[in-house]
Amino acid sequence: MHFKRFAIALVACALTAGCGQEEKRKKQEFEIDFPFAPYGEAYSAKPDFAALEHDHPLSVDDLYRITPELLSLLEQEQVDQIYARLSAGPIPDGPYEGDLFFPRGISGKLRLSEVVGGGLKGLLVNVAGRKLDAIGEILWKGKVFYRDQRLLRNRIEDLKPLKRVGLVDDGGSTNPLTKIEVGGHDQWLLFPARLYCGQSLLDGRRESIIIDYAFTDELPGYRRMPDMMAGRDGFAIRDEIRMVRPGFYLGRAYLDRAFVVNFVLWNDQAAKAGEAEFRRTGQVAEDCWSGTQVHRLDVAAQ
Amino acid sequence: MKGVMQLIHALAFLAVAWAGVPALAQSTSEAAPEWVRDQGPAQVAGRAVTHEQDIPYYEACAREGLNDSECAGRLIWFKATAGNDRFHTYVFQQRIGVMIDWFRVLRSDQRGDRFAAWGAINDPSCCTPGSAGCPARDKDETYGFDWCPGDEQLLAHVGKTGYRDPACDFRDAPLAKLDVHGPQDQRQSPCDLKFGTSTGALGIRKFPNPRFDRERWIAVNGSAGSWEGYGRRIAAAGGDEEAAKSHLWDGSIEPPFLIGTSCGSCHIAFDPLNPPDDPARPRWENIVGLIGNQYTRISEVMVSGMPSNTLEWQMFAHARPGTTDTSAIPNDQVNNPGTINALINIARRPVFDGESVLKWRKARSCDGQPADACWCEPGRVGKCWSKGLHDETVHHILKGGEDSIGAIEAIQRVYFNIGSCSEQCWVNHLTDLRVVDPQQRGYGQTAFDIGQCRRDCPNFRAIEDRLQNIFDFFVSAEAHSAELRVARERAIKSFNPRAEYTEADFIEDLENEFGDGAVARGAEVFAANCARCHSSQPGAADGQTAGLDFQRIDEESGLRADWLGNDRPTPVSEVGTFRCRALHSNHVTGHIWQQYGSETLRAQPPDPNIAEPADGGRGYYRNISLLNLWAHAPFMHNNAIGPEICGKPENRANDFYAMRPRYVDGSNIRLLPPDEQPGCLAYDPSVAGRFDLYKRSMEALLNPDRRIPKVTLLNEDVTLRIGPRLWDGTDKEKLLGFQLTIPAEIDGRGVTAGTIGNFRHKEFVVDLVQAKLAPDAVEARLERRLGPREGKQVLAELKEIVKEVRKSPNGLVEALKKRPHLVKQVYSSCFAEIENAGHRFGETLSDADKKALTAFLATL
Repeated sequence: MHFKRFAIALVACALTAGCGQEEKRKKQEFEIDFPFAPYGEAYSAKPDFAALEHDHPLSVDDLYRITPELLSLLEQEQVDQIYARLSAGPIPDGPYEGDLFFPRGISGKLRLSEVVGGGLKGLLVNVAGRKLDAIGEILWKGKVFYRDQRLLRNRIEDLKPLKRVGLVDDGGSTNPLTKIEVGGHDQWLLFPARLYCGQSLLDGRRESIIIDYAFTDELPGYRRMPDMMAGRDGFAIRDEIRMVRPGFYLGRAYLDRAFVVNFVLWNDQAAKAGEAEFRRTGQVAEDCWSGTQVHRLDVAAQ
Repeated sequence: MKGVMQLIHALAFLAVAWAGVPALAQSTSEAAPEWVRDQGPAQVAGRAVTHEQDIPYYEACAREGLNDSECAGRLIWFKATAGNDRFHTYVFQQRIGVMIDWFRVLRSDQRGDRFAAWGAINDPSCCTPGSAGCPARDKDETYGFDWCPGDEQLLAHVGKTGYRDPACDFRDAPLAKLDVHGPQDQRQSPCDLKFGTSTGALGIRKFPNPRFDRERWIAVNGSAGSWEGYGRRIAAAGGDEEAAKSHLWDGSIEPPFLIGTSCGSCHIAFDPLNPPDDPARPRWENIVGLIGNQYTRISEVMVSGMPSNTLEWQMFAHARPGTTDTSAIPNDQVNNPGTINALINIARRPVFDGESVLKWRKARSCDGQPADACWCEPGRVGKCWSKGLHDETVHHILKGGEDSIGAIEAIQRVYFNIGSCSEQCWVNHLTDLRVVDPQQRGYGQTAFDIGQCRRDCPNFRAIEDRLQNIFDFFVSAEAHSAELRVARERAIKSFNPRAEYTEADFIEDLENEFGDGAVARGAEVFAANCARCHSSQPGAADGQTAGLDFQRIDEESGLRADWLGNDRPTPVSEVGTFRCRALHSNHVTGHIWQQYGSETLRAQPPDPNIAEPADGGRGYYRNISLLNLWAHAPFMHNNAIGPEICGKPENRANDFYAMRPRYVDGSNIRLLPPDEQPGCLAYDPSVAGRFDLYKRSMEALLNPDRRIPKVTLLNEDVTLRIGPRLWDGTDKEKLLGFQLTIPAEIDGRGVTAGTIGNFRHKEFVVDLVQAKLAPDAVEARLERRLGPREGKQVLAELKEIVKEVRKSPNGLVEALKKRPHLVKQVYSSCFAEIENAGHRFGETLSDADKKALTAFLATL
């Protein structure tokens, strides 16, 4: 699956002079027949999501054209237009790979702390940023969903970045770090979060799956450092995700209710298991409230 | 009349007595409510009643003499939430970020204190579990709430699916004969009206939450009937400056009920003609649906889960009893609480011909028109809507004349005020106070689309298809004026049924109090000084008031012919009252309620005598009706002229007036010392209590120099945070983004609570950033808005702030403290301070004439 090569490709791309042109070509090819509504720069020139979905419905084929790499090339408005036309889908189960991508217009080379500062960088921002950057490297990468318990934990292969900024408390024998094995690799489990169906902070017309760290301190396996950094006394992180297609979710991350970064999650096994049925029907079991506007998802003629 | 009432009670009694005769019960289906299965459907005054909870509503219809349409409208007005249970349980909390502690408001063990604390009117049919005769014996059965009729079914579905809403059994009034969408009845299913059952407070409804997890609830709270763990404040690790949180913020915890509100939550009130002996224990006959609850603290209800040092609490929780800021949620950054409009004698309310109105109208077909101009509902025959610009005859409904495309549509919009169809139709159009990038959605409002909402929200259609019923209720006998003479007569008759209180008795009493000939003289004073604005009779607005008869009865309607207001717009600088409400901007082009404002409204020129932005038809107050003034004090759109009123609840944590005394020293806008504060007058809805409040308010109205200035002040420093924050567990809080602390006092002068709500922080941030990056653009903007001299000066100040902040990253707070005018004026939507100023008309009258006017107005 090309997902796993995505992050590597971006790094390689950053080192290659012709990369910008290649990205541009891919984006243009995608845009040619992907149903986006026209939009302008100002907030008031963006299309209403209800009208967008009514006038420009997506098809299952459209959804299967979307890749993490392509999403990272799109303008934020285009990412938003895709997100708004998705439904939450089922709450995932098991391990998912992940990656984050910044809103377009902000260099991917920037650190998360600088992204948060945005146009106010160096002016109004007092950035205690190293810790945020370290956490950003983890939070929107691999995750494990415990669907039945409505819990989630983040998978971390390398604790060094956290240790460098003094954020790892090993817990001693009373609360040892938890490990799982994914793909033959040991991974630490940190940053527990609640999973539930809740409000999207972008599009209210249907619910999203919420990954909420607010009360992380009450969850099994919580350790003060680094977990509290994601909680209500730390960055107050709240993620929301919607399903692009089985095994592939698009997410938005908020810090204290302010949008900061997009991310994607995928699981190859779940993708394979659900593809045939989804391609045939365009339907999945929805765990969350799917709204009352007709969710149009065209299925190709059989 | 008396005989009819006896018959009604006899029928109701028979319905209840039927319970003991199961053999007579009608055969029932699986879908029938338990009450019907047990007792069979009842008849109340000729109307079949399926649900026990409907009996008092149909009794009221009979008592008021309402026809089928009016009665249907009444039931909807009192009970229909139109799906806003999701708004009040999920959307407001998670999307808007404001917590409501519903248990704090509705806990049954404080039912007796509920009116005093929240102004909420107790549902006479509900009871506290364990009280005598209450079907529920323990609070665990009702999750701590009152028990109310219909709860047998509802409580059995908490944590389960399959609840059948009582609205599904709503009996529609016959379709109007000339309905364009008729004659076939194609109305949306009444299930989408969504009634649920009462929470114990009228107008606040509950629904079983199918996602409720009883086991987890008990783990959090200790028992089913407790909400202690859910609402308990948890101190922030970052220190006292940080707001405490609670599990109300935890979206993973599903409460047992979804809570919805009907229009009645604000509009249901005590009948001035028949007030309750004990406001905490009213009877159904004490309750009417249209004059507005003069005691409601709905704003405090909406922030009942927020600590007082939060921006949200400070923004919401300062409306006076009986007022609310309906643009607090669809926020326009104009802080402007206003009274709930009393709906009286609507049939005589002025209308305005030839106003230019773009709106949807019923049609039989679309004949190939594009969907954005004409739309037919799928699955229906000839049920279409066509959009077009036409001249129409319309009312001017809201304080500034907004909601001016038709009375039906004005009723429709009330449902958005209460949260209906929020997810499908309007939260995506709101301003997000945290978005400061003008290119991002949420930076500002966008216009709600009526056509889209009709298409996508079934609750919208359920209401829209019955708006005529609600309007018919508005013009029904229940909305007829309540004369003081009648009120006094009824009060006397309650002790002595044979007593009489004639018009002559009434005038005699008034003249004993206000002087010989006071009423007649008052009529002359009124005609000469007030009728230009406060009469709807022809010629009055042009000053032709001599000889007008303000008491004349219109033969057709049986109502007073004069509505005692002309509803015409008057520039706010002429009225001189607290002007923030006149600057309300939600009906301006591109703003959320654009489609509910006429083009005529928006074409009004700005008031040239005010400095704040006032484009798009803003800057006016309509000349309101003085009908039943005796029952509606204190005065003005913000209830600020007259004594402050308060509930004095036993639970001091809910004593909101004590948290916000209002009387200030006008020279420095600082609170008067406690021993100089006049204090507040306890709620008293009795006839005598209302009249006393009226007289005190008239005294304040006519003697403006004696008014002690009132200002709602910040009662503590409030921090406005833009962007995320970080507390790293070791150091003091560090900030990502920036924060503004609005101090409660600047340079020895108090700061109004409205300062925060009126501060256009986004515009300020954009100008601040661009002062460094694109100063020419900022200068041009500022000069356009403020003039060349002040524009340049403000730009220079912004540049200075940039320098100061670069040196000291947390220096913005100090930088703004040095320049309070930036927050309080330059970037403020409204910088009025004194809330009880203005409307000085009549101040030069003699004392005798003031008394005479007070006497005369009491007769209207």
